[in-house]
Amino acid sequence: MVTAVAALSSVAVLAACGGGGGTGNAGGDGEAVYALSAEDTPNYVPLDLVEADFPGVDGSAPGFTSIPDPLVAAVDSPPGSGGSYTAMTPLWGTIPPTDGNAYFDAVNEAIGTTINFQISDGNTYGDKMAAVLASPRDVADWTTIPSWNVPPRFNDAVESIFADLTPLLAGDAIEAYPNLANIPTEAWQACSWNGKIYGLPMPVEVGLTDYALYRADLVADQALPTTPEELIEFAEANTGDGAWGANDLWAVATAMFGVLPSQPGWEVGDDGALVHRVETPEYRAALEWMTELYSSGAVHPDAVADNQGDAGTRFEGGQVVMTSTGLGYWHEALTRNRPANPDFDIDVLPLFGADGADPVIYKPKGAAMCSFLKQTEDEAQLTELLEVANFLAAPFGTEEFQLINYGVEGVHYDLGADGLPVATTQAQQEVQPSYIFLTGPPAVNAKPDLPDYVEKRSTWAAANAEFVTEPLFYGMNIAEPNQYASIGQPFADLEKDIVRGRASMADLDAAIETWRSAGGEELRTFYTEIYEGLESEGGSASS
Amino acid sequence: MSHPSTPPAGPTATPSGRREGRADGVLEIELAAHAPQGRDGEAPSGRRRGWRPGRVREVATHNGVVMNTITWRDRLRRDKTLLVMTLPAVGLLVLFAYVPMLGNVIAWQDYSPYVGIADSPFIGWDNFVRVFSNPQFLHAVGNTLLITGFQLVFFFPIPIMLALLLNSVVTPALRTSIQSIIYLPHFFSWVLVVTIFQQIFGGAGLVNRLLAQAGYTGFDLMTNPDTFLVLVTSQAVWKDAGWGIIIFLAALATVDPAHYEASAMDGAGRWRRMWHITLPAIRPTIILLLILRLGDALTVGFEQLILQRGAVGPGVAEVIDTYVYYQGVVNGDWAFAAAAGLVKGVVSLLLVLGANKLAHVFGEDGVYRKS
Repeated sequence: MVTAVAALSSVAVLAACGGGGGTGNAGGDGEAVYALSAEDTPNYVPLDLVEADFPGVDGSAPGFTSIPDPLVAAVDSPPGSGGSYTAMTPLWGTIPPTDGNAYFDAVNEAIGTTINFQISDGNTYGDKMAAVLASPRDVADWTTIPSWNVPPRFNDAVESIFADLTPLLAGDAIEAYPNLANIPTEAWQACSWNGKIYGLPMPVEVGLTDYALYRADLVADQALPTTPEELIEFAEANTGDGAWGANDLWAVATAMFGVLPSQPGWEVGDDGALVHRVETPEYRAALEWMTELYSSGAVHPDAVADNQGDAGTRFEGGQVVMTSTGLGYWHEALTRNRPANPDFDIDVLPLFGADGADPVIYKPKGAAMCSFLKQTEDEAQLTELLEVANFLAAPFGTEEFQLINYGVEGVHYDLGADGLPVATTQAQQEVQPSYIFLTGPPAVNAKPDLPDYVEKRSTWAAANAEFVTEPLFYGMNIAEPNQYASIGQPFADLEKDIVRGRASMADLDAAIETWRSAGGEELRTFYTEIYEGLESEGGSASS
Repeated sequence: MSHPSTPPAGPTATPSGRREGRADGVLEIELAAHAPQGRDGEAPSGRRRGWRPGRVREVATHNGVVMNTITWRDRLRRDKTLLVMTLPAVGLLVLFAYVPMLGNVIAWQDYSPYVGIADSPFIGWDNFVRVFSNPQFLHAVGNTLLITGFQLVFFFPIPIMLALLLNSVVTPALRTSIQSIIYLPHFFSWVLVVTIFQQIFGGAGLVNRLLAQAGYTGFDLMTNPDTFLVLVTSQAVWKDAGWGIIIFLAALATVDPAHYEASAMDGAGRWRRMWHITLPAIRPTIILLLILRLGDALTVGFEQLILQRGAVGPGVAEVIDTYVYYQGVVNGDWAFAAAAGLVKGVVSLLLVLGANKLAHVFGEDGVYRKS
């Protein structure tokens, strides 16, 4: 039976933890599963409500510049059954009041379930997460964990803290929640651990999730860079008179030079052996370019001092012309600044590769974040929260989407002459995206109130879709052996040291040697076994 | 000097400070009994607790030396009330200090918080072996000792000097206002202190902007690893030196002005009076604080350093506490961090005991003394 399942799915891998390829013996502790089997994968039943003004290309988010009238009701009546739950979510912005917040009250009322938010600063969310999970009793009923904040030993954590949603969502069970069934398979894969569905995804578009934005209003007449060298010159040219060219641009460097993502961070080398991210020439090239950028003096001193929390403030204040950030920041900054400064404008830097080569975009995990439900004896609680999730996942063009993203008409927004929502001052205080971090519909670029933004972002993403490639082990969450959990940690510090000129490339070589002897080689063996397991099953793990 | 006449030694000057509420007469008798410890009528050790004046007097007149004629049972009965009064504190200490200490057992485990202490396997001394063979940990220890050593020389004496200076300010109103002004930064959080320094000395800070306007190229004090030691020490001085003088001022207040007058009559100048009267008077306080500081030698401002670690890099800013934090909490290697924390705790304890012993050798009271 088990072998049959493995054969069915190209990504279901059974590998022994300690060594030796495990083949389908009845479950012992040594056996680890890293991907969702075909039969446990929720069915994908797409909903098409509204035709996009800028259709998605190969998974890039479709763009919408108008709101359909009338809106569709995706859920008939308040789906909740009156329960009250706590939810922990990150936020990159000013944390809104949770008591007496008309926006939260209105959404909770529409759902029929009260969600009490515990909102934490997104920049330090990961540090907090490790401590929160270490004390399972204090974990909120519904907890969002961004993919980049997943703590070590998370495969243990899900088993002991969070509810296994597989029985409720696998296969056609998900069709009881039509809006959740509208979420693509990759998003569910990203939120599954140990071969089971644990998380509800916040789906992400296929393409770059982080890149550089620049202040179009400040550099209106300048030619945009088309090579890494020109990018540094561009930053230098915009430095002076109390302004600097750039914040930290690591996300740009990784895209230009095609650096592997850090998780899991392996690719097949020329000789067929696995090569880790830190061993690749691309990683080196990106670091060297960053060193050059920093030494040019065009990076804002506070960014040099590693104060990334205020990167947005510096950018919006005009002290920095370019910033590299999650692209979700783009429309937030526009919404924040346009009311006071109608000329405020942001655009995204064109994407280019180094030395005339094409850039490489490694396909991001299907979900930027996953939210997890705390284990409970009472299955009714889980189904109530899934109903809530179904409400939150209502796609663009529904009343629910409108409510979650804009608040209440007349309170948080007024409809302008063109039928587009105009935010009120109350919205600026209260409507902070929090529900969207719990779960949401497939990524759309739906900010009809910012049509110029929708056009720019959609065309940029569509143009870059051709550079997307799947990294090795795509769609899998691989739990590394615990003893190697932190051997990669020194590189995070070293990257910062190298680009700021405090360490040299020779230090990188030394760190790689240390990494190899501290368990890097064992990790290579570990991943090679998984890789060979995938190959021998006849499936291909990567494109 | 406008000091009111004070008793020979106040509570601050006698660290163990257990003499409150005793009649001076009794004190003298006890002093006579302990002659070797009391010096020159100031700072008697005051180690005996809760003696009833009557009994003390009785013992003292009876024998003059013998102290332990009463039985354990007698003492229990005699101290009953005091013991009952300490119970809540002991209870809190057990509950919040000793019970959590049991959690240190994870240092000998392959611990996962998701499995729990009960089910995590024991792996002997493996975590400690990893701690001592880890170059980053040893590097963090080196940084910690460097910062401690530097601050011992360039931070520790500053409150003493400030206290001496302040003590010589005659006008009470002026003295109080100076004191208040230099206390104040103590109540700022480290986040604020680091931000203020960043806003003034950072690459985009006030000083650099002024320099740039005047046509000079600036400097960035906040991201320069070479001057980091001086930077953190000046931050600590700015924030805490004012606070540190309180205890020295209290010690200075206990010096009998008659000593100054007498020595002045004998022709002692300002420096001689300081050397022969003031400094000996605050010596027990200095030694007490020095010992406590040594006990903290491996603790050097966690918040202050973690806030600036990114700016200068772990090369100079990684200390034991930040390392344990990153390794344990952020990387989830709790057992390793517990082992490293235990090592630090044991070394700190040994430092305090050793320094205390050393103080005894030099005839000082130190933090405590076994009776």
